[in-house]
Amino acid sequence: MLVRSIRQNDLAALLHLASNVGVGVTTLPVNEERLGKRIAASLASQAAGADALPDTAESSFLFAMEDPGTGQVAGICGIEGSVGLGEPWYNYRVGVSVRTSTEINVYRRHETLFLCNDLTGAAELCSLFLHPDWRRDNNGSLLSKSRLLFMAEFPKRFNPRVIAELRGVSDADGRSPFWESLGRHFFKMDFSQADYLTGIGQKSFIAELMPQHPVYTTFLSEEARAVIGEVHEGTRPARVMLEGEGFRYNGYVDIFDAGPTLQAHLPEIRAIRKSAVFTAKSADTTKGQSWLVSNRSLTDFRVCLAQTEPTPNGLPLTAEVLSRLDVEAGASVRAVPLSARS
Amino acid sequence: MLVLRPARHSDMPGIERLAAESPVGVTSLPANSDTLYKKVQASLDSLTADVSFYGEESYFFVLEETETGELAGLSGIVASAGYNEPFYSYRNETLIHASPVLGIHSKIHALSLCHDLTGKTLLTSYYVEPSLRFSRGSDLLSRGRLLFIAQWPERFADGVVSEMVGVARDDGSSPFWDAIGQIFFGIEYHEAEYYCGVKGRKFIAELMPQHPLYVPLLGDEAQAAMGQVGPASTVPYDVLTREGFETENYIDIFDGGPTLHAATRGIRTIAQSRLVKIVDGTEGGPAWIMASTELDDYRATVVDAEVTDRGIGLTAAVRDAMGLAIGDVVRIAPL
Repeated sequence: MLVRSIRQNDLAALLHLASNVGVGVTTLPVNEERLGKRIAASLASQAAGADALPDTAESSFLFAMEDPGTGQVAGICGIEGSVGLGEPWYNYRVGVSVRTSTEINVYRRHETLFLCNDLTGAAELCSLFLHPDWRRDNNGSLLSKSRLLFMAEFPKRFNPRVIAELRGVSDADGRSPFWESLGRHFFKMDFSQADYLTGIGQKSFIAELMPQHPVYTTFLSEEARAVIGEVHEGTRPARVMLEGEGFRYNGYVDIFDAGPTLQAHLPEIRAIRKSAVFTAKSADTTKGQSWLVSNRSLTDFRVCLAQTEPTPNGLPLTAEVLSRLDVEAGASVRAVPLSARS
Repeated sequence: MLVLRPARHSDMPGIERLAAESPVGVTSLPANSDTLYKKVQASLDSLTADVSFYGEESYFFVLEETETGELAGLSGIVASAGYNEPFYSYRNETLIHASPVLGIHSKIHALSLCHDLTGKTLLTSYYVEPSLRFSRGSDLLSRGRLLFIAQWPERFADGVVSEMVGVARDDGSSPFWDAIGQIFFGIEYHEAEYYCGVKGRKFIAELMPQHPLYVPLLGDEAQAAMGQVGPASTVPYDVLTREGFETENYIDIFDGGPTLHAATRGIRTIAQSRLVKIVDGTEGGPAWIMASTELDDYRATVVDAEVTDRGIGLTAAVRDAMGLAIGDVVRIAPL
């Protein structure tokens, strides 16, 4: 499989893909206008900065995963250079309020949700979706981590604080216990509806309807408290993967479903820190561990997996891989082992 | 004849009996001789104090059946609520969460700990014998205080408040306390009441939530208890709402009972009261609450009497029972 920069003519395939996404992936709504805008933004970002480096706020990149044999689009992922600079970016910070009285010898610790815009400006890994038929053979890791190689290649286009919002807990009907216990009280709307509105860019409208005062979690249902900072079952592998790359949960959660927002410092992300530039070397066959290999193009970035091992002369790659990356032998490529274990 | 007058030391046996009868929620009437004695003394001191600006004074009244000398009720006024320490309430705020874009308009209530009512005059310590509930006597016991305020306005604030006892479960526990107080104090309702009595209210400031509490997040039982009046306060609630007190906006931080409030000048008995001279008269006529205008011998009662341009016509029996004479000036308000 191949992950590559999005193209203008990907819209139809993406709409088809988006109709398969469950509740909770708010960045990929089934909305033609919205998706069209995101593609246009990505194309603009790909074209920007040939002369001068653009502001991180201008960076918005989408990538598609395709089957190189058929050209079928199987997944999507994206990166925002800086969030919250156009409209506010909201999170709850899970904090603590302590109250004590020495006089009557009482010490009380209250978990408290503070509505905040603390993560304003951070770069965001977003819009990750892989069609269920293709969830195998490391395709998920390839799709998600392909972005890290892009960031390693073009670090100045992204805020060094990188976040990833993970889908919170909801049941098969899209019912979120956190939403039912908190958001629901503030306006009568199903979580799936709020989620959709978020996806089409109306999150700040909804956020303005949410409680502005801090919320003591003791007043939420037990079910709701249990899911604060927890991910949806289907999102657990993504969490494990991001944590393997050095992302951490620091107490920021989504204001609707309380799913965790993970954070990392860009230069410290494993796949970025460990990635290196090699000379591509043509080989009939290659063997070794799985490597993420990318070309170094801003406008037609391409990443795929290769079983290989670097040599002093360069990185041996098969003709098939070279073709997927659209590079010739002798070209400069960036690569990193797919995962930390080796 | 039932007469409201300031308490004296000699009233102590009757006061103690009534305080012991009063329900637990009326915390200003503890079954504790020391505390009650101090209330009487404070009241006597306040009556003789030269007050240029109201402050720490408090006034404690008894309702006496003059034929028997038996006491039938207690009531009090604190000139300035929270004179030494803040007077805490929850303000029930209304927040509008609206989005024209989404076509949403929700009204959300939140409870904010506040000191808004600090410094207001507080009507307190109300207890009337069961046989006199919802009678002229129970009205006199409450409203006799209002004529007192009307007569000496410089001794009181421009606003008057009164805390109503909230609802409790059959076992005496408070649903409102269990939903909020228990969480922030980590102690039982009766313990909190006890600490309030012996340690002052500093611990409230230390432990209460700094942030407003969203009402929809409270349990149903606690929400239902908000602003509800328990059986102990149905009589004063009835009297004071007729007087024009507002019942919205403020509730007690412990049991969620409403704290009534009114602008002093707008209180019905005060607004409608006037000074008249006593003339000789016969029995019968419209009912009035009538009070003497002597600070050192304040008395209030309910009379049926004709009031003309000349004044209020009282029989000799009423004049004698009240210690008043023809030509004296009294303050009256329609019952």
